[in-house]
Amino acid sequence: MKALEDKNLRNPNDERLQVEAARQDPARFGELYENNFERVYAYLARRARDRDEAQDLTSEVFQQALAGLPRYQWRGLPFIAWLLGIAANVLADCWRRAGRLQEVMTDDLEQMGIEEDVEQKAMLYELVDSLPADQRQVILWRFVGQKSLREMATELGRSEGAIKQLQLRALQNLRERMS
Amino acid sequence: MTNISLADQLDDAIEMMIAEPDSAPPRVDLKIGELLGIAAELRLFPDPAFRAALKAKLLGQSAVTTTPTMVERKPARNAEEAMLPTLFGAGYGNYPVRRGNFAISLAVHAALLAMVAASGLWLPDGAEVRPQVISILRTESSPILVSSPPGNSGGGGEHEKLPDSKGSLPRFTRQQLTPPTIVVPRETPKLAVDMTLLGPPELSETQTSQAGNPLSEIIGPPSNGTGKGGGIGSGRGGGIGGGTGAYRVGGGVSAPIAIFDPDPEYSDEARQAKYQGTVVLWVVVGTDGRPREIRVQRSLGMGLDEKAVAAVRGWKFRPGMKDGVPVAVQVNIEVVFQLL
Repeated sequence: MKALEDKNLRNPNDERLQVEAARQDPARFGELYENNFERVYAYLARRARDRDEAQDLTSEVFQQALAGLPRYQWRGLPFIAWLLGIAANVLADCWRRAGRLQEVMTDDLEQMGIEEDVEQKAMLYELVDSLPADQRQVILWRFVGQKSLREMATELGRSEGAIKQLQLRALQNLRERMS
Repeated sequence: MTNISLADQLDDAIEMMIAEPDSAPPRVDLKIGELLGIAAELRLFPDPAFRAALKAKLLGQSAVTTTPTMVERKPARNAEEAMLPTLFGAGYGNYPVRRGNFAISLAVHAALLAMVAASGLWLPDGAEVRPQVISILRTESSPILVSSPPGNSGGGGEHEKLPDSKGSLPRFTRQQLTPPTIVVPRETPKLAVDMTLLGPPELSETQTSQAGNPLSEIIGPPSNGTGKGGGIGSGRGGGIGGGTGAYRVGGGVSAPIAIFDPDPEYSDEARQAKYQGTVVLWVVVGTDGRPREIRVQRSLGMGLDEKAVAAVRGWKFRPGMKDGVPVAVQVNIEVVFQLL
């Protein structure tokens, strides 16, 4: 939890140093990726039709970011703003190709930072990792693997009732940590 | 509401939300409603495998893009750099030089080479030279051997001082009961049996005179010859003339087959001297399947000849056959003495 708080309350100077390091040595891009993945994904998942589309778009954003890093200029804004600007363009391209016309406010994103619900969603994704192992496993199986109660019960060697209880406790834990 | 019913109600609502994501949220308890909202946010939770794979892909791309700029080739400054750039210089340009890895690789290769070289000198305690003996029955005539006496009917004699005398051949029969003889024993047999020679009956000619060797130049006095084994002549066996009375293989004569042939032992003297080679024996296999006569055709010495003869003397054969009848057959046996 403390690591999560540290991550969200990063010192802008630290982030700037990370960006500079990644510009000098692209192998350091991994740190920027880890720090910003949830928010980029949350932004795209809020607008995507499904998980596959959200993942494809996220992949495209980070690849464009890596390619464009040498041209990046620090303008006093968080690095995530630049990433979400790329995300907005990628999303617009995607919708244009699909014939879905919808305005994406890229300028606003860069000026104002992140929408609040995106931040909430990103925090929720990060909090799942802090759950006890069995509760995290049930959440992953339920929502990513879309396994049935019976499959989860068999895998964990517990009853279906016990799996329901784990699911309940996991969601209660997430609610408490969010608040 | 109990915890159990809460869990059931929540699970039902989540099940419905996953199955029909576009439908309106079900009417549920307020407590469940908050949790269901979180569950709805988790519906598109990113796959951890995707997240890890994307990171690996990005780092892989970054490695590719950085390679040309990270490693810069510098011209060799001295002879060592030019000869061994991996150890003393900047490598070959594609990857950074890791001298520690080079040293480890060099040490491992040197150790392996040393082990290979030392393996020829190393012999475990208790290991000794193991003797091996192989016996081969040769039924074809071998060019290295002294040719054995020709003919298939030789033999005869009663150890007399005079050579066999001239006479005509008795008749041939398939089965010989009494070998031919010139000097008939004095006592009168109770059941007289005509003397015959072993062979096809159609070869028989009318006996015109006293039995004897037609090729002999000695007309008298009558003598069975200097040989042994009955018959007439200087050889061995119940025929007439010289020779052994054993057939060669071929021409309707089948080879004897060894059915009990233990290998000879190695002599201590030869083993200590690490002496190897082949002893060749000439053997007549009798109609009873036993070696009747054994001669050393090629000798090795150091006690190996004796060991070979002693072993072959105990062999048992299925006898050679001619016209369905067992006959004595001469064969060569090669005994190979080896040290492994």
